[in-house]
Amino acid sequence: MSRARTALVVAQREFTTLLRTPTILVLALGFVVVVGGFVLAAGTGGYLPLVLDLVAPMEILVPLLAFAFGYRAIQSDADRGELETIQTYPLSRLSFVGGVFLGRLAGLLPVVLVALGLSAGAVVFTPGDAVSVVVRHGTVDAPVLFLRFVTLTVLFTAVALAVAVAVSAAARSGREALAIAVVLVIALVLGFDATIVAALSGGLIGPDALGTLTALSPNSAYRGLVYTLAVGDVYTRSAPTPSLLAGTAGLTLWFVGALGVAVARVWRE
Amino acid sequence: MDVKYVLAGLALVVLVTATGFTVDPHGERDVEPVSFDSTLTMGMTGVDVKEAEERNLSIPRAEVFFSQYEYVVGYYGIESTATHLRGPRTTEQFGEPIGVLVTDYAGTEPALNENGFLIERNSLGGGWVSAQSAVFVVDSRAKTPGGPAIVPFGERSAARSFAERYGGQVVDWGSVQSRSAERTSPATEMDRITANRSQWADRQVTATAGLRDRPVSVVVGEDTPTLAAAIERAPADTTVRLPPGTYDGNVTVDKPLTLTGAGPETHVRGDSEGTVLSVTAERVAVTDLRISGVGSTGARSFSDADGGDWDQFVRLAYGRGDSAIRFINGTGSLVAGVDIETRANGVLVRGGQGLVVRDSHIEGPPEWQDGFMGVLAMFDPVVVQNVTFEGGRDGVYTHRANGIVVRDSRMAGLRFGVHEMYTSGALIRNNTVRRASTGVIVMTRPRANVLRGNDVRASEAGLIVAGSASFVAENVVANNEVGLGMAAARSYVAHNTVVDNGIGIRADLLLPSLTVTGNDVVANDEQAEADMGPVRIWTADGRGNYWGRLPGVDADGDGTLDDSYRPTGAVDGALLRSEGSLPLRESPAMTLLRSVRDRLPGLRASGVVDTAPLTEPTRPNALARTNGSRP
Repeated sequence: MSRARTALVVAQREFTTLLRTPTILVLALGFVVVVGGFVLAAGTGGYLPLVLDLVAPMEILVPLLAFAFGYRAIQSDADRGELETIQTYPLSRLSFVGGVFLGRLAGLLPVVLVALGLSAGAVVFTPGDAVSVVVRHGTVDAPVLFLRFVTLTVLFTAVALAVAVAVSAAARSGREALAIAVVLVIALVLGFDATIVAALSGGLIGPDALGTLTALSPNSAYRGLVYTLAVGDVYTRSAPTPSLLAGTAGLTLWFVGALGVAVARVWRE
Repeated sequence: MDVKYVLAGLALVVLVTATGFTVDPHGERDVEPVSFDSTLTMGMTGVDVKEAEERNLSIPRAEVFFSQYEYVVGYYGIESTATHLRGPRTTEQFGEPIGVLVTDYAGTEPALNENGFLIERNSLGGGWVSAQSAVFVVDSRAKTPGGPAIVPFGERSAARSFAERYGGQVVDWGSVQSRSAERTSPATEMDRITANRSQWADRQVTATAGLRDRPVSVVVGEDTPTLAAAIERAPADTTVRLPPGTYDGNVTVDKPLTLTGAGPETHVRGDSEGTVLSVTAERVAVTDLRISGVGSTGARSFSDADGGDWDQFVRLAYGRGDSAIRFINGTGSLVAGVDIETRANGVLVRGGQGLVVRDSHIEGPPEWQDGFMGVLAMFDPVVVQNVTFEGGRDGVYTHRANGIVVRDSRMAGLRFGVHEMYTSGALIRNNTVRRASTGVIVMTRPRANVLRGNDVRASEAGLIVAGSASFVAENVVANNEVGLGMAAARSYVAHNTVVDNGIGIRADLLLPSLTVTGNDVVANDEQAEADMGPVRIWTADGRGNYWGRLPGVDADGDGTLDDSYRPTGAVDGALLRSEGSLPLRESPAMTLLRSVRDRLPGLRASGVVDTAPLTEPTRPNALARTNGSRP
């Protein structure tokens, strides 16, 4: 069997496990409801405001959801001793980790996409305010901006899930996995940025270093890319936006690094 | 479920969303002209535009496409375009203009008619040209009914030849905009109009007071048997005295006389047909008497109104109604101390510059449908001062009475207290209205009206204002179904006390261009309503309005809360009424929501945001008087 084929077999197994876990489904539903509710409450009337509205909730909720989907993926196999059986199959570590990642991603991404899709739907089909006697014209608002935002969010989701899979491979027990996951989510959502702010106000770093440093936190890298690519100068005006290169490099680094950690820690060859 | 297909499906979706990167969303947009009738129109008054259409005059126009506002905004007049584009909060509310189109007069053979109004001799030419590439003739002799006109051209040669014939300089769009830069603040402008109209009204009151001092030439009942005979006999510029008693009306005063009675005991009675006193001369005074027996026709039906000017209907139907006193060209006349009981009009003024109606009482039928106007002023500004209106249709109705002053009067139990039609530059000040359909209503599209210090309660609506560049300040509106209804663009709403109404302040225009600041809006069922158009920012120069004792902190001590307030929002709206609202408002979820909703207001759904709500009321005394029980 080729590597890809074996990875797909593992992915199928992970995907089926997800579908059989009712708590995960409830969580997914909760995510969609929270995002949809937020958009309705904000009274969003366009794609650009929608993007601005959703950046913050997404960077908090997506890591949470990704960790819920992935933090015990490999660890639970180890717990039940199935990992030792799996090791007897002709299966490389990369195929196994890749398969686990893809299987979980196949469950996670649709949840994120459905939530975003429903939000866009709320903008398109918002009732009222239809004044047909007055001509409308194109503003800076465009669906393209939202498409870009969705793409960036998909990348961010993948990175967050990769980190979660790394946690599940590195942790030796369920309790340890939970602890690491909680610490990492807090670090992603608050810790990295708070540290950078503290370092900046403490004079440890200068403003020049911010471009690089913010790219090192996945959340800031994602946020930076959204403002650069999907929001643009209508909102950012004359503030310089983070460079594409730094943001992309930051996210790639986390993605590759996390999966690397998972491959290294899943079992010893 | 096979994971292969799921993954393949996801890959496809991501491929589709990734196409977003192949399109440039911020690329140049071509702005295509749209039909002017279907834009949101601003600038110049309705009466000026109507007059221009009627007389085939031409008005330079503009269409502006804003980056953060989806409706095309149309302007009458290039000056008003430039003023609005440079106005306060225009960029904040609408974003930058993506495109500005102006009328192209090249090819229309523009000319001035004998009165200096701009006309087009070839209406098939022209079209639209981008303001950036257009040139403008300023300071020429060209004008529109609204004032001096800036005339745009697509070709410099056409502009030059226009300037050679009619004067003026040829400039570009940048200089047109910088010319409109000097703006006076709305508060200063309001004070200027208030002072100007108040002093004018004072002068009319002083001038007409002298009419009471004319020598008595005839005493009715002693020198002549009837009032009609007395008028016949009295020489001009004298007084006809009416001792206590009842006199037959339905007479005409055709020379400058003063008719003076002894107070309510002097009763001039009509025969319940037509008008009791018809005045066709200037400087006539009617003082200290009682009038009744007015005919019941408020608006005359007419069959000869085909063609003619656009306001023929009002002139013929309203201008010929029955009335207790009717002035035709009654310049400098006076009605004082008169007690009128009428089924139609009280005092009808068809022309009468500086006429004064003061210290009088006008009573109409209790059902407004049965009556007509207390004072009906057409064509000229008059002064209405310290008059009590009870019943009838409208207390004061104005038709093209630019600059009218209505002050210190009381209206109760009628349809509208003051009803302005096609009237600009009016001062409606310190009047009290109770139990009306609407306290003061400004209709059509006038400009620069000042409604100041009025007090309207227990009515369906307090003040309803249409038009543009108007001023609504220091009024008290309490216990009405709607407090303030603002349909006037670019207007100033400040320091009003809005208490205990069904809806506090209602924004009726699709176009958010109001300056709303320093108002005390307290304990209304709905503090504000703005159902149409984008989010409105009701804060000016860092100061918002007082919405009650809202929770929050004022860290910098500038008298405004640091958190924004959304009076139209579900949670904020109930903040001072429901005990669950505060914890909900302080939740992380709401904090997150608050942080996003002031961004790009032009692209958000309707509502009102105050970014700097006041910690203390602007007029605590007025508030305490209307709302003693609640803070």
